[in-house]
Amino acid sequence: MRRSLILTTAPLDEAALLHERAMSAGMGAAVYFSGVVREAEGDEKISAINYEAFQQMVERQFALIFDQLEKRWVLESVRVVHRLGVVKVGEASLWVEVVAAHRGEAFAACQFLIDEMKRTVPIWKRPVADREPSRLAARTHSANATDNPSAPSALAPLRAGTARGPGPGDTRD
Amino acid sequence: MKIRVQFWSYFRDLAGCAETSATLGDGATIATLLKDIYARFPKLAPAEKSTLIAVGVDYQPRDHVLKDGDEVSLFPPVSGG
Repeated sequence: MRRSLILTTAPLDEAALLHERAMSAGMGAAVYFSGVVREAEGDEKISAINYEAFQQMVERQFALIFDQLEKRWVLESVRVVHRLGVVKVGEASLWVEVVAAHRGEAFAACQFLIDEMKRTVPIWKRPVADREPSRLAARTHSANATDNPSAPSALAPLRAGTARGPGPGDTRD
Repeated sequence: MKIRVQFWSYFRDLAGCAETSATLGDGATIATLLKDIYARFPKLAPAEKSTLIAVGVDYQPRDHVLKDGDEVSLFPPVSGG
């Protein structure tokens, strides 16, 4: 099973991701999920969600999830892209694609991956209030910058990488 | 033995810092470490039951025995997606 994980602060380019899809002739199902930031968090209107991640552990936990997918289903590929930093309302924060021979395993694997991600992958969200977006974002940035310069910052430039081998806020799901 | 402890998400705000260190005796477990941490960072204590704990990049239970140089991360329930 090919596996790909990308953590990025850049907006998700869904057209490019779809263009990069690779399916062999025996595959009959490509299921993808796009998680989009909603305009409200509970009763409060928000303008964005600020995502923070413990990146090394994110890679490890996704690798473990990919391992479980491989054990449960026969899949050709799984791709995950998760935004970090500030993601505005209406923008996608998560994109998942599963390619398999049949729709049953593709849907099931996609659902499983997202459920497990929400249970184990160390990514956290901080809603940015609609009325004062800059203040909350600035406070978060300040905390990250002064507490520990060596710790991964939610707003710092991030490495966009691909994890293969051992090695997604609020969305409309 | 010396243990490095990192706080993530709003735990960093509650602790007032991103990381600290703890000096513990041989055979100390995560539970031992938590006792030390809650004595020094009492604002974290109310979240004890929901706190997730990793050593390195793997989750570990409270009875996990620590070793010198371990890096322990404490954080609230995850919320990606």
